[in-house]
Amino acid sequence: MITSDVLIIGAGSVGVPLALYCAERGLSTVVLEKNASWGRGQNRAAIGGIRATHSDPAKIKISQESIRVVRALQEERNIDVEWRSGGYMFVAYDPEREKAFRDLLVIQKAAGLDIDWIGPDRVRELAPGIRADGLLGGTYSPGDGYASPLMVNSAFHRLAMQAGADFRFGENVLSMRTENDRIIAIKTDKGDYSAATVVNAAGADAAEIASMVDLEIPVHPDCHEAGVTEPVARFMEPMIVDIRPDHESGNYYFYQAETGQIVFCITPKPQAWGKDTDNTSGFLPLVLRRMIELYPRLRNIKVRRTWRGMYPMTPDGLPIVNRPRGLDNFMLAVGMCGQGFMLGPGLGRILAQTIADGAPAPADAHVFEELTLYRKFEGMEMLK
Amino acid sequence: MNRIIEHPVIDQGQAKPEVHFTFDGSPLTGFRGEAISSALFAAGIKKFSEHVKDGTPQGIFCANGQCSQCSLIVDGVLRKACVTLLRDGMDLRTVRGLPELPADDRPAASTRIRRIAAEVLIIGGGPSGLAAAAELAERGFSVVLADDKADLGGKLVLQTHKFFGSEEDCYAGTRGYDIAKILEKKVRAYPNVRILANSPVVGIYKDRAAGVYENYEHYLLVDFQALVVAAGARERSLVFPGNDLVGVYGAGAFQTLVNRDLVRAASKVFVIGSGNVGLIGSYHALQAGIQVAGICEILPKVNGYKVHADKIVRMGVPIYLNTTVLSVEGDGKVERVTIAVVDKDWNPLLDTARTFEVDTVLVATGLSPCDEFYRQAVSFGFTAVKAGDAEEIAEASSAMFGGKIAALALAKMLGRDVSIDQAWLDKREVLKSRPGDTVCRDEPVMGQTWKPVFFCNEEIPCNPCATVCPTHSILLSPRKGSLLDLPYFQGENCKGCSACVAACPGLAVSLVRLVDDVHAEVQIPFEFDASGYQAGQKLGLLDQDGGFVEEGELLKKFYNKKYRTWVLTFRMSAANSPKAIGVRIQPEEATRPLREPRFSYLPDEAIVCRCERVFVGEIVDYIKANNVRDVNQLKTIRVGMGACGSKTCSTLLPQIFRKAGVEPAAITPGSLRPLMLEAGMGDLVNEGYTEAAE
Ligand SMILES: Cc1cc2nc3c(=O)[nH]c(=O)nc-3n(C[C@H](O)[C@H](O)[C@H](O)COP(=O)(O)OP(=O)(O)OC[C@H]3O[C@@H](n4cnc5c(N)ncnc54)[C@H](O)[C@@H]3O)c2cc1C
Ligand SMILES: Cc1cc2nc3c(=O)[nH]c(=O)nc-3n(C[C@H](O)[C@H](O)[C@H](O)COP(=O)(O)OP(=O)(O)OC[C@H]3O[C@@H](n4cnc5c(N)ncnc54)[C@H](O)[C@@H]3O)c2cc1C
Ligand code: SF4
Ligand code: SF4
Ligand code: FES
Repeated sequence: MITSDVLIIGAGSVGVPLALYCAERGLSTVVLEKNASWGRGQNRAAIGGIRATHSDPAKIKISQESIRVVRALQEERNIDVEWRSGGYMFVAYDPEREKAFRDLLVIQKAAGLDIDWIGPDRVRELAPGIRADGLLGGTYSPGDGYASPLMVNSAFHRLAMQAGADFRFGENVLSMRTENDRIIAIKTDKGDYSAATVVNAAGADAAEIASMVDLEIPVHPDCHEAGVTEPVARFMEPMIVDIRPDHESGNYYFYQAETGQIVFCITPKPQAWGKDTDNTSGFLPLVLRRMIELYPRLRNIKVRRTWRGMYPMTPDGLPIVNRPRGLDNFMLAVGMCGQGFMLGPGLGRILAQTIADGAPAPADAHVFEELTLYRKFEGMEMLK
Repeated sequence: MNRIIEHPVIDQGQAKPEVHFTFDGSPLTGFRGEAISSALFAAGIKKFSEHVKDGTPQGIFCANGQCSQCSLIVDGVLRKACVTLLRDGMDLRTVRGLPELPADDRPAASTRIRRIAAEVLIIGGGPSGLAAAAELAERGFSVVLADDKADLGGKLVLQTHKFFGSEEDCYAGTRGYDIAKILEKKVRAYPNVRILANSPVVGIYKDRAAGVYENYEHYLLVDFQALVVAAGARERSLVFPGNDLVGVYGAGAFQTLVNRDLVRAASKVFVIGSGNVGLIGSYHALQAGIQVAGICEILPKVNGYKVHADKIVRMGVPIYLNTTVLSVEGDGKVERVTIAVVDKDWNPLLDTARTFEVDTVLVATGLSPCDEFYRQAVSFGFTAVKAGDAEEIAEASSAMFGGKIAALALAKMLGRDVSIDQAWLDKREVLKSRPGDTVCRDEPVMGQTWKPVFFCNEEIPCNPCATVCPTHSILLSPRKGSLLDLPYFQGENCKGCSACVAACPGLAVSLVRLVDDVHAEVQIPFEFDASGYQAGQKLGLLDQDGGFVEEGELLKKFYNKKYRTWVLTFRMSAANSPKAIGVRIQPEEATRPLREPRFSYLPDEAIVCRCERVFVGEIVDYIKANNVRDVNQLKTIRVGMGACGSKTCSTLLPQIFRKAGVEPAAITPGSLRPLMLEAGMGDLVNEGYTEAAE
């Protein structure tokens, strides 16, 4: 039996940064991951967007922290993660969307976000060639940006390793045993573990992990496909998000990475529930039609590779972060939906502090309250 | 212009229409419809881009649409030179840094999804794919066959040499490009086969559909029930310092330039690897009037067929065994190559270094199967088979059999009542087999009448000499009881027709007869241009291993049209006559090294990922620092993230992991995802497509 202060199930967007911050706080930390290496769950599928412009205070708080962390990787620790503060731009081509974005601005500004409405000219300055016809403008948040999920997760992995975290790859958690409201043993296909705190950071498999201690959590994976192009010289800055649905898709978004590639993704309609992450033939025709309608000059860029991954969805589009009742040493950090990559670093810091000190810092307490498992799960976050 | 005007075995064909184009603004001419890379090579241009990472000049590597190294800007858009066909008025430009995306802001035209269905999709139209198509079509299946080249036939199209194998089963003795035409014609005759030439399959998807990049212009989804993966093989890259210089490329690429497109791509080459590809490549070079400074082989033995090696050596090309390449150097392009002998642990002995001045280095160190679609199909639970080189690297002859067998296996999986003839399976095994033993032959007995002498003493699957003999006097003497057996002359019935001499792909048969007690006449095969030779002329005759025998007097020359081979008759001494089999082609000076070797040895500075220019040393360090056991993690340093989709570098990674102290068995391979080849966004949605545009 291997014993540690913290045991994290899942070396993904959430688990890897969390491991770093736990280890940096001097907690002995073990990470169990069924894949052969870090970030091979859904972190590999994320396209790389990082924004603080959400419609919900907890997510705003965590993401602001993430942006600081990711910038610091690059600016203070000198690790290239291809972070670029290109901003996020939600574009409006109909009055309905314009009104919704403007209404949101009120909340977002109240939360201290650097975001504003910009007119069509400014939109076209930031994204030259984007369709002018019908363009009403959009919201633009210059402090947001994007980074390489691969490089960010690899950086956290290396730092965590150096800080003493013990990563165990190719190890599948099979069962957990509880006694007196505590998890006392975690069994994998290779060994047995116990820990003062056990964190469920199992992403798309979080519900299965929870069910090992008879806990039901509303996390259901839904599949999304994404793609990347060849690199070209920089021509656009922000992550562009078009949230207009049409008859066969929901929102789609894309940006030009630091290294020049366009990275893109779409929400299909109906949503594709389940865990089949193999590519399907419908994706490219669907997403590319919408992209070149919005941005015609993309017609000449070549698609290099595509992939499919999962959003670990919750019914209201918000994560679940708290200690479930009746399991004193269990922590949930699950249900990251389409934002786990951007939430992971900030969440890791907040969670590590909470685990080390036994309680959240006063300024963070609202995060746990808002993201509790025991909320009503009503509505749906608008910018999910 | 570096065009090959005279070629001993390839016809020029019809005159191709000339077109005008520009390269970086300078006016040039080329042929309409030829690959841009060939047109540029013909104009002496071998550098197509400067790598975005550090400005290093880049040229071609595979010329087969696989590696992406030859990309350049065609009318404003980045394209691969080797699969983009030349048109009148094209504006070609060197890529410097990241290309600009053209600001083509016209509103999007209508888009559409194009979809067809077939029972079987065949990926690849080489010998195995074509054979499979015929077999399936014969059984009534509806078939779509997609191949990424404009001409079907796969690698056969590049092969100007006569084929081994057996004549009745697989056209042995016939030249590869002729076999391609025969097979294509046969398949085109079936109404239930739809052929999509010049159209690579770029992805297969879980919903049993494949994406075809039709004419590299439109996107066609093909729904299928079953799949035959016959995509052949791609050339392996090799890790050595200088492997990225302009002028280092695959032997297959060389054959494409020289044999398919008749471009004199080099003036002097050095070849790495003595497999059949390297040996034949060298031979093709000589036939195209290109010098070959030598061939090096790290193993202690020639890897290809002995008859091939023998004939190359006879032409005057040295083969250096136990020898590897140390470095290739030059100022932005190949100027010299240095080789050295290796010790028993494969480490080069630097004091044995020899440097040759060449302008091209051909990498012929093996092929790896293009079996990605098969692996994916299996993981998706599809009904799928693989055939030909995609299944196992072998020869075209076995690929044809493999295609038929795979087709039948597939028919069976699809519920048809078929059985596979055991004889076919046996034949395929023989055709696939590595050479058997090398056998010592008895001294030939000469007489007043013609008799063949065989310089063929390594067991290989081959029999054209036996099949062409009109008097059935050549028999394979049963030792293995298969096509591997060696031919022997039996009886007294040789008419001296020289069919066996001309048909032998190994140029390993001569005819000899005594004219008096001390003189004899010999007939030997010759695959170069003999039109300049005059009767009465003296020529130095060589033995099997290239050793000088004596000067013979040319009595007569005869051109065998069917086999496109000259048969030269000489008068020489009776005693030496059974030894003569060749005439030297290349002067010895062409193969001399520099007096002093000239190189620097920096083994860590070899490129592994060509697309992204990642060096061995960087990867080894990264593996060590991050405890990497998963190929996917190397993407963090961009290995495998390039335009080729890791097709080129993935095969090299096991050896790099080993270098970093990680056993390849402990490594998780990289994941496979579409697209296999890049395709434009507008093309993928068929923007503005109309049926009439077809
Ligand atoms: C196409 C696409 C685009 C996206 N784009 C973005 C984006 O731009 N920005 C963004 O922030 N987010 C994006 N996301 C969402 C993001 O990828 C996920 O929200 C995030 O990766 C989830 O993080 P996680 O740590 O919860 O899960 P993961 O990263 O999946 O980590 C969970 C880990 O737990 C492991 N695990 C599970 N069960 C077990 C077990 N029994 N034993 C051991 N290990 C186990 C898994 O193998 C996995 O590695 C995108 C997602 C997709 C699919
Ligand atoms: C230099 C050289 C010399 C050789 N000499 C001989 C010889 O003397 N005798 C002999 O018997 N054999 C010889 N061979 C071997 C022989 O050519 C091959 O074994 C044979 O061609 C394999 O047949 P195949 O059908 O499997 O593949 P190929 O002939 O390679 O055909 C596969 C086809 O599939 C295409 N393709 C690949 N990917 C895709 C895709 N995604 N979509 C659509 N199409 C695709 C390829 O471009 C190609 O046209 C030689 C090979 C080489 C390279
Ligand atoms: S020369 Fe003609 S008859 Fe004589 S062995 Fe050869 S093929 Fe047969
Ligand atoms: S002598 Fe006969 S068996 Fe030998 S290589 Fe020539 S044709 Fe083939
Ligand atoms: S060589 Fe093309 S991706 Fe590595």
